[in-house]
Amino acid sequence: MIKKLTPWIGYGIALLILPQLFDSVLGISLLNQLAIAIVFALSYNMLLGQGGMLSFGHAVYYGLGGFLAVHALIKIEYEEMYFSIIYIPFIGGLSGLIAALFIGSFSTHKAGTVFAMISLGIAELVAASSLILESFFGGEAGISGDRTYGPPFFGIEFFQDSEIYYIAAVWVFIATLFMYLFTKTPAGRLANAVRDNPERAEFIGYSARWVRFISFCASGFFAGIAGGLFALNYEFLTSENLNAVTSGRVLLMAYIGGLGYFIGPIIGAVVLTLMNTLLSNYTELWLLYVGVMFVLTVMFLPRGFAGFIMMHQLAWTQGTLNQLFKPYLITALPAGVFVLATVALIELSHAEETLHFLGMPLNPESAISWSIGLILATAAFYATRRTLPQLRDAWDTANTISEEEGESS
Amino acid sequence: MSILSLRNVHKNFGITPIIRGIDLDVEEGEKHAIIGPNGAGKSTLFHLISGRYGVSEGSIAFKGQQIQNKQPYEINRLGLARSFQVTNIFPRLNVFENIRCALLWSEGYKYSFWQLLDRQKRLNEKTEQVIAQIGLEKRAFYPAGELAYAQQRALELGIAVASGAELIMLDEPVAGMSHSEAENAVALIRKITAGKTLIMVEHDMSIVFDLADRISVLVYGEVIATDVPENIRGNSRVQEAYLGEVVSDA
Repeated sequence: MIKKLTPWIGYGIALLILPQLFDSVLGISLLNQLAIAIVFALSYNMLLGQGGMLSFGHAVYYGLGGFLAVHALIKIEYEEMYFSIIYIPFIGGLSGLIAALFIGSFSTHKAGTVFAMISLGIAELVAASSLILESFFGGEAGISGDRTYGPPFFGIEFFQDSEIYYIAAVWVFIATLFMYLFTKTPAGRLANAVRDNPERAEFIGYSARWVRFISFCASGFFAGIAGGLFALNYEFLTSENLNAVTSGRVLLMAYIGGLGYFIGPIIGAVVLTLMNTLLSNYTELWLLYVGVMFVLTVMFLPRGFAGFIMMHQLAWTQGTLNQLFKPYLITALPAGVFVLATVALIELSHAEETLHFLGMPLNPESAISWSIGLILATAAFYATRRTLPQLRDAWDTANTISEEEGESS
Repeated sequence: MSILSLRNVHKNFGITPIIRGIDLDVEEGEKHAIIGPNGAGKSTLFHLISGRYGVSEGSIAFKGQQIQNKQPYEINRLGLARSFQVTNIFPRLNVFENIRCALLWSEGYKYSFWQLLDRQKRLNEKTEQVIAQIGLEKRAFYPAGELAYAQQRALELGIAVASGAELIMLDEPVAGMSHSEAENAVALIRKITAGKTLIMVEHDMSIVFDLADRISVLVYGEVIATDVPENIRGNSRVQEAYLGEVVSDA
């Protein structure tokens, strides 16, 4: 029991401590983004990772949740509704759920390509309507509300982003917990079964379509909660929040983090949000790096970052993990140099004047800058390759199943 | 009393007739084998009964209810379960989860998303019993897709019988097994279908004659004979269809 609760206690403590560690304006704004992204990415994984439904339009439920949440904020502002804004994400969730009930009723007939294409069509439809139906979506400018008009919650009036963070943290914790528990229920487990083999599921008494529909609705609900959190944090929504770019980003988060693991999308949400906000301060090319990372993840870590971590489970339980530390370090050093030198070259090719990279002045006009970069990158590439055999050997040794472990069940 | 009755069942794919007017009665509690040359329509007949295909014509009654155009899950809920010729399991779930999923409907969980599976004591005990029956205790927490072939076939059987269905249909349950594996599988089939009705498609005649109470011979989409094994062996039309194979095999 204690062992089961430990991750949750840790998660809760982390959510509470992080704003103390990063209490700058940027830090809090980043944490709020993380909170939103985590719920959104987890909700997406209910579809793709747990239920085998590849959606290109998950932002629809997120965006609609957000829009309805802003409309609720406006109603509170004009005193047509009277409740604390801490419940706003629930409005978002209900909106997402209603949209999912409607769209899921016909899109969950089939999984695979059919489902993916319908999701793409709906996404385009909703994104296009969001620009046309101005009274609801506000056209290109979007709509905005003000979260400070609601009745104060224990004296808090939500002028500060940090106040919103604690509300968001509670919602994130609850949403994560419920999404996790969903995977432990009959409906959640059957979603895995239908993902694996929809035909067989029909011969053990279950309609694959109903199973998908339930996951779909749950996923829409939690995406709507994420949208509601977005509305609380930014107080405005535009059509960008429900278009294909947002849908694509959540797919990247879930995929890079690892679809097969509950914690995967959380990792993906953190990594991509950090790249999104921090990297974009340093370089205009940040999207390129995100793209390259995605391609590399698909090619070399098909089970995502979480899958990479879980690869070490056997070594961990056998106590051979420490054998891997040195080999990893030996490979990581030249690999790191290679990555940095490559990045320097990319930045050089993009730069119009001298740029400073890790404190070094690099001049796109100077042959020296180019040749040092090229030489470093090439040398580091070959050095990395030379370290791979030792890493592979160390890996095999660390993961050789010892005699006693052979027949554990 | 017959638990399953087929009357004048036809199935065409396009203009090609595959099943051409089958009348068949399966008695409650009997072990009924369906044999016939390749392409006779044995698997198609299984798909028609279990609801994977709809019939083109005719009727199928299970326990007195018409099931000919019902969905597979509706038919399964009435108490008819089946296995497949090609292993058909949930490869990324472990053995325990495979069996537990197969038990969910009959245990009344429906599409519940408010109950935690690990807290359902009775369900988990039942799951363990089925796993013990099929002899996979040591593999209970292995992903099903990583099991050896014979173990996957045992799991396939386990999924079919877990729900406690009264009528079990097995499509070539020992295909692709070595001799000793097949022997184990037959013993397993005997054990887990005890007291139930069994319909089985099988090519291995020694197994068919060993296990079956009655045999139906299917040739070109028609049942040319239904009888006890001894009479089937002596039936001249059957011998003709098999070109003497039956006699030499048995």
